[in-house]
Amino acid sequence: MKLEVKNLHKSFGETEVLHGISFSVESGRALGLLGRNGAGKTTTIRILMQVFGANEGTVLLDGVPFSPKKIGIGYLPEERGLYPKKTVTEQLMYLAALRGMKRTEAAKAVKHWLERMGVEDYASRKLETLSKGNQQKVQLAATLLHDPPVIILDEPFSGLDPVNSQVLKDVIREQIEKEKLVIFSSHQMGYVEEFCHDIVIMNHGNAVLAGDLRELKKTFGHGRLVLSLNGKSGEETETLVRERYAGLVVPDGIHADHVVLKMIGETKKTDVFRALAQADLDVESFGDYRPSLNDIFVESAGDEA
Amino acid sequence: MKQFLNVLKFELGNYFKSRSFMVTTVLLALVVAAAVALPPVFMKGSFSDVFGGGKESSKETAESSSGADNYDPDAALLGIADPEGFVSDLAGLTDRMPGYQWKVFDSADELEQFVEAGGDGGFLLTGKFTYTYVVRDRSLLDSLDSEFSEIYTSYWQEKELEEAGIAASKVQEILNQSSISTMQILGKDGASNYWYTYILVFVLYFLVIFYGQMIATSITSEKSNRAIEVLVTTVDSTSLIFGKVIAGAISGIFQAGVILGSGLIAYHFCGAGWDYRLDFLFHIPAEVWAAFIVFGLLSYLLYAFLFGMLGALVSKTEDISKSATPVTMVFVVSFIITMTGMNESDMLLMKVASFIPFTSGNAMFARIALGSVSPVEVVVSAVLLAATVVFLGWLAAKIFRFGTLMYGNPIKFTQALKKLREQ
Repeated sequence: MKLEVKNLHKSFGETEVLHGISFSVESGRALGLLGRNGAGKTTTIRILMQVFGANEGTVLLDGVPFSPKKIGIGYLPEERGLYPKKTVTEQLMYLAALRGMKRTEAAKAVKHWLERMGVEDYASRKLETLSKGNQQKVQLAATLLHDPPVIILDEPFSGLDPVNSQVLKDVIREQIEKEKLVIFSSHQMGYVEEFCHDIVIMNHGNAVLAGDLRELKKTFGHGRLVLSLNGKSGEETETLVRERYAGLVVPDGIHADHVVLKMIGETKKTDVFRALAQADLDVESFGDYRPSLNDIFVESAGDEA
Repeated sequence: MKQFLNVLKFELGNYFKSRSFMVTTVLLALVVAAAVALPPVFMKGSFSDVFGGGKESSKETAESSSGADNYDPDAALLGIADPEGFVSDLAGLTDRMPGYQWKVFDSADELEQFVEAGGDGGFLLTGKFTYTYVVRDRSLLDSLDSEFSEIYTSYWQEKELEEAGIAASKVQEILNQSSISTMQILGKDGASNYWYTYILVFVLYFLVIFYGQMIATSITSEKSNRAIEVLVTTVDSTSLIFGKVIAGAISGIFQAGVILGSGLIAYHFCGAGWDYRLDFLFHIPAEVWAAFIVFGLLSYLLYAFLFGMLGALVSKTEDISKSATPVTMVFVVSFIITMTGMNESDMLLMKVASFIPFTSGNAMFARIALGSVSPVEVVVSAVLLAATVVFLGWLAAKIFRFGTLMYGNPIKFTQALKKLREQ
């Protein structure tokens, strides 16, 4: 399966909030939808879920218009919540019925997912009596009950402790391995890096960056090096580089113990390496710059992650 | 359709599994049944006196207890004092009020002491047509004063007639004559239909206000606990809002049916105990029931959809009552028009109100029950009301889908319509 979002535009009144968003994702791969608050992620997800329509643009699944209710999407909204006064089983059975599952099939799925999430002991308890983490696990069970081929998770890790996060990570990995199409929205770059093959970075309603994460990292690292010197801070290293190697590189980022350098013109990595070796500097590490997702995000979407 | 049925089943479960709903229904049904069944049992002796109509039988009882041969120890003990000697024949006076034991006192003080000591009441004669009623604690149903007033007045009237040389018995005979009439009602008998119409209009008022608020609260709760986000992306909003509103309708009909039904069943078995005096409440013709079901149900659905929309436009349950005020006011106005128009159901205001969907539920029902309405008028009104219900159901589904995902301050209805057009 391939989900393609093409040139989505959305306006509320006079204000256009999405200015032509495009991306695609395939089964067995996860797409990370990233962006600062107000970037348009939730609006994009709500258009995908057909909560409201786009003013322009299309969403296609395998080349035909996408219908979430026909496909059976597993959607975990950012604004979580089920029925606090209902028992866990009662509400999961209700949601399963709404998704067209037969009673016996639903009961089996409820049992399976409660066990998988480690909350089977709370099956007959009212949701409001569970901890926030366990409520979230119940919500994830509700999302996956009907074995949906497309899964959209909006900030799935928020509010989870490390142990529960691990359970959730395992479940998401299983779903990706089962060739599910996963769209993952989060501010927590570490999780996105762990799961997502593809990312879309949104900023002010634009998709400022989209593509394969590994490729993007390579592209972002292209022409840049990382250098750290024993016994010197990032700032000291930067000063030294400016004084001695101004013709070869310019500092492109200062960190606590290292600097990122951008090669000038036709400069090659070996030229810089040779120059460093000749200067008899105590080099701690030197190599190609591999940006983290956080670095890419900050560079693409602003100075806050 | 399947989704609608699933929503309906779930929402019905919310009502019927609610302890407060079931307890309220059962308690109210028991109260109504008891109110109908118990008075004839407990008030057999005084029932006729309280509700009228059985005066002869009570008089007979009273007379038998007044006689010396039939001394009744439970008969009320009354005192009478005539220190000035206005009445020449005190026994003749007290005989006019049988069923009581009388004691004669010489002074006002003695009479007061008698009452203080436990006498049921006393009368101090202070002149022609004037007396003082002495009682320790007067109860709400105390009728001694009015009874004595009647006999004391007639005593002096007869005296004066005799002094004028007119035979009191002849006067009485003349005054006792009255016209005998029969009634031929060609249309509806508004006088006898009034009370059950009043009760049914009130039942509808209760259902709309109570269940309307419950439907709005149910929707707002799903919004405030964020369950709505999952629901609207799983189920189409038409199934959701129709499921909720129709579940509320079924629950309301069930509750009202059980409560009214308990009263009807109790009256069916205990009607004889009331001498069938409550027929004006419980003998409701089939056509009135049919009109109530059609117009009541449609009107209920119309307001339920409006309340459903309002529930979707607020984020906190505490905001519901404020946002619901305009809709509540419209319904209250409809209720007041009907209540006012029930005295004259064919007045122009009622005729107009019976064709406006927001008021026709009450007004047309009242006109059918109390006045003369042509079948064409009934059909036109019902079709207009039904069409409005369908339109509001459609609009409610649209607003529901849009409104449920808007959090924060309550959204105005006009603002919601504007946003809806923008989408």
